[in-house]
Amino acid sequence: MNNRMVSSELKVGIMILIGILILFYMSFRIGKYGVFSEHGYELTAVFINAGGLDVKTPVKIAGVEAGKIKKISLDGFKALITLTIRGSVRIPVDSRISIRSQGILGDKFLEITPGNDQKILAQGGKIQDVVEAPDFDQLFASVNGAAKNFGETMGELKGIISEKEKANIRKSIENFQEASGDFKNLIKENKGNISRVVSNVDETMSGLKLMVKDVESGKGTLGLLVKDETLYNDAREAVNVLKTISAEIDQGKGTLGKLVKDEALYDETKATIANIKDLTDGIKKGEGTLGRLAKDDSLFIETEKAAKKVQKAAEGIQEMTPVTILGTIFGMFF
Amino acid sequence: MYSKKPINYYSPFLQITKALKELGSIGAMFLETVYQTFRKPFKLNYIFKQMEFIGVNSSVIVIITGVFTGMVLALQSYHGFRKFGGEGLVGATVALSMTRELGPVLTALMVTGRAGSAMAAELGTMRVTEQIDALTVMALNPVKYLVVPRVVAAFFMLPVLTIISDFVGIIGGYIVGVKLLGINEGAFITKIIKHLDLDDIYNGLIKAACFGIILSLVSCYKGFYTSGGAEGVGRSTTEAVVVSSVSILISDYVLTSLMF
Amino acid sequence: MEDVAIRIVDLQKSFGEQRVLDGINLEVEAGKITVIIGKSGGGKSVLLKNVIGLIKPDSGEIWIDGVETTSLSERDMNNIRMKFGMLFQEAALFDSMDLFDNVAFPLREHTKMSENEITSTVEERLKQVGLTGFSEKMPSELSGGMRKRVGLARALVLDPEIILFDEPTSALDPIISLTILDLIKQTQTYFKKTYLVISHDILGMFRIADKVAMLYNGKIIEYGTPHDIKRSTNEATKEFLNATKIPGFTGGDL
Ligand SMILES: Nc1ncnc2c1ncn2[C@@H]1O[C@H](COP(=O)(O)OP(=O)(O)OP(=O)(O)O)[C@@H](O)[C@H]1O
Ligand SMILES: [Mg+2]
Repeated sequence: MNNRMVSSELKVGIMILIGILILFYMSFRIGKYGVFSEHGYELTAVFINAGGLDVKTPVKIAGVEAGKIKKISLDGFKALITLTIRGSVRIPVDSRISIRSQGILGDKFLEITPGNDQKILAQGGKIQDVVEAPDFDQLFASVNGAAKNFGETMGELKGIISEKEKANIRKSIENFQEASGDFKNLIKENKGNISRVVSNVDETMSGLKLMVKDVESGKGTLGLLVKDETLYNDAREAVNVLKTISAEIDQGKGTLGKLVKDEALYDETKATIANIKDLTDGIKKGEGTLGRLAKDDSLFIETEKAAKKVQKAAEGIQEMTPVTILGTIFGMFF
Repeated sequence: MYSKKPINYYSPFLQITKALKELGSIGAMFLETVYQTFRKPFKLNYIFKQMEFIGVNSSVIVIITGVFTGMVLALQSYHGFRKFGGEGLVGATVALSMTRELGPVLTALMVTGRAGSAMAAELGTMRVTEQIDALTVMALNPVKYLVVPRVVAAFFMLPVLTIISDFVGIIGGYIVGVKLLGINEGAFITKIIKHLDLDDIYNGLIKAACFGIILSLVSCYKGFYTSGGAEGVGRSTTEAVVVSSVSILISDYVLTSLMF
Repeated sequence: MEDVAIRIVDLQKSFGEQRVLDGINLEVEAGKITVIIGKSGGGKSVLLKNVIGLIKPDSGEIWIDGVETTSLSERDMNNIRMKFGMLFQEAALFDSMDLFDNVAFPLREHTKMSENEITSTVEERLKQVGLTGFSEKMPSELSGGMRKRVGLARALVLDPEIILFDEPTSALDPIISLTILDLIKQTQTYFKKTYLVISHDILGMFRIADKVAMLYNGKIIEYGTPHDIKRSTNEATKEFLNATKIPGFTGGDL
C-alpha cells in the first residue's frame, strides 16, 4: 500500500508540475507580464470621440508599439486619454496623434506621427495635434457623396448632347443618306467591287444611325462610350475605301472611268465623299458631341470612378453584415 | 437516510419539492464537506489517490478531447473568417474559445463521464453493501473519508486538466490552421498574444475549479444516498452524470456572466 | 447500573406501513454474551442498527453506559461508537482495500500504533480467524464465509467494550462455525466484554450464550438464560426451538 501511495503522489506531482509549467509558459507568451518592468512616461491627448479605444489599447509609431493607453476619462464633454509611452521613445511636441484601425475587423489603436520639432514632450505633456477618427456616419456620408457625384456626371452627359447637336448629327446622317442614294443610282449597272464599297458605307451608316438613336433617346450612355471605337474604325475604313475608289475614278480606269465623263455626277460624288471625310475628321479631332465622347478621356475615367465608388460602397456594406453577426455571436459567448 | 417512501413520479408538485429537497441536501453536504476538509486529521493519502484517479487517469481523454476541439475550432472558424480575409484571427478564436469556454466545460464534462460516474458507482456500492455504515460504526465520518478527498481532488485537478486542455487545444488549432490550412504563422501567434488576456486563462481555470466541486459533489451525493441494491447503483450513476452535466452547463452561464 | 451495558426502552421503528420494532424492552448485561434469536426479517438487524445509531428510532430510548443515545448529535454519538465494534451481516469490508488493510483500518484511524505493531496485531487477528496468508487478497476474491471472518477480525481488533455480531456463523461450514464460536467465547471470557449476538444458529448459540432474547412480532417475548428459554412455555418460542430439531439429535437438551 505504501508503494502505491508514493507512486500516486509522484504521478499527481508530475501532472501538477506540467500544468504549472504550461500556465507559466502561456502567461509569459501572452507577454502581459512585461508591463510591470516598463519604465515609461505619461502623455495626454484630448479627443472629441474616443469610441473604440480602451485601457491597454496600443499606441504605435510607424506601426510599432510605443506604449499603451493607461486611462480614459472625461474632460468636460471630451475624452481625455492618458498614455504611457516607453521611456526610450521620444516624441516631438508637434507630433500628431490619430485613432486608426486595422481593417474593418481590426481593433482600434492610436498612431503617433512624429513631428519635426526639436522640443520633446516630457512627462505629463499634451499632444495638441489630434486627428479624430472618421466614424461610420462620416463614412456613409462620403459614400453618399460619391453616389451624388455619379448622378451629376450622368446629368452632365445628358446635357452635353443638346438639341442643336442632335440636329447636327441628324444633318450629317441625312447628307450621308442622300449621298448613298446617289451612289446607288450611279452604280446600278456597276455591281462587283462597287457594290462592296457601297455595302461598306451602308454598314457605317447604320452604325451611325444606331448611335444617333441611342443618343436621341439618351439611354445607355456608358454603352455608347464603349461602342465609340468600332464606330470610329468603321468610319475610317469607309473613308479609305472611298479614297481608293476616287483615285481609280480619277485615273479613269475600268468601267468606272466612264463615269468621269458625266461631270455633274462626278461633282456630286465628290461632295458626298468630302462630307463623309468632314464627319470622320470631326470625330477624329474630337469636334462635336460624338467626337468629344470618344476623345474626352477624363470624363470617361470619372464616370468609371464614380461607378466603382458606388460599387465599393455597396460591397463594404455587404461585408459589414457578416462582421456584425459574428460580433453578436461572440458577444453572446463571452 | 433510510427513508424510502413511495414517490408519485407523475405529480409535478412532488417533483419540484423533491428537486428542492435534493438541492438542500447537496448544499448541506457541501457545507459538511467544507467543514470536514479543514478539520484534522487531513487524509492526504486519500486525496492523492483521488487526484491520481480524477486527474492523472483522465488526462489522456482530456488531451484527446482538447486537441480535436482545437482542431475543429480552427477548421470551422477558418471557413467563416476566410469570407472577409480574417484568417489571421483563427488562432485568437481558438485560444479564446478554449481558455474561456471549451477547455473548462469539455474537461468538466469528460471528467464527469469518466470520474463522476465512477464516484457515484463506488459510493453507491459502498452504501448498499453497508461499507458506509461500517465507517460510521467505526466513529469515522464517511463524508470526510469518502466525499472530501474526491471534492478536494477534483477542485485541484480540474484546473490542471483544463490548462492542459487549453494548451493542447491551441496546439491542435495551430496544426490545422498553420500546417494544414496555411494561415500565416506569425499572424496566428501574434493575434493570440494580442487578443488573449491572462484573465481569460485564469477565469477559465477558476471556472474549472468550480466545475470540479460541482461534479464531484453531485456525483458523491448521488452515490452516497443510493438505495435499492445494484439497480439503485445504476440509477445513481446515471443521475450523477446527468445532474452533474446539467449543473455544469448552468453554472457555466452563471459564472461566465459574473466573470467576464 | 453497572451491570447493564445497553438498556432499550419501548423502542419503535417502522418503515412506511411496516412496523418492524414495536416496543422493544431489553437490558443487555455488561460482560456477558447476549444472543438475540428470531425469525428472518423479524427486525434483528434493524434493532442492532438502532443501537449503534445507524437508524434513528421513531420513539423509545436507548441507554448505553448511562447515556441516552437516540437524541445525541453525530459527534457525541461517535464518542459512544468508539466503545463499539460491529460485525455486519454481509461483513461490509472495504473492497478498495486488501484484507490486511481492512483489519488494520481501525488501528490506523484510531490508534497511534506504529506500522510494525499494526502488522503484528493484524497478523494475529487474521490467524485467529484462520486466514493466515490471505492478507494480500482483496475482499472480492474471498468467499462469503471468509469475508465474514475478516469482518469479525476487524470488529475485534480494537478490543471494544461492546461488540455487536450480526450472524457471525451464518455462511460458515460447521467446523469453521465451531472455531468462530470458540473464538467468541474465548475472547469474551478473557476480556469480559459485552457481546450482543444475533443468530439463527440455535445450537451454536446456546453453547456460548449467557442470556438469550427471543424477538417476535417486533417485541422481546422471552428473555433469560438458555436454560430458561429451553423450558419456555411460550408457543412461538417452542415452535422456533422445535424447528431446529434435527433427526438423531436431542433437540433443545444438550
Ligand atoms: N432500510 C430499510 N428500509 C425499509 N425497510 C427495511 C430497511 N431495513 C430493513 N427493513 C425491513 O425491516 C424488516 C427487518 O429487517 P432486518 O434486516 O432487521 O431482518 P432480520 O431480522 O435481520 O432478518 P435476517 O435474519 O434475515 O437478517 C424487513 O422486513 C425489512 O424489509
Ligand atoms: Mg439481519
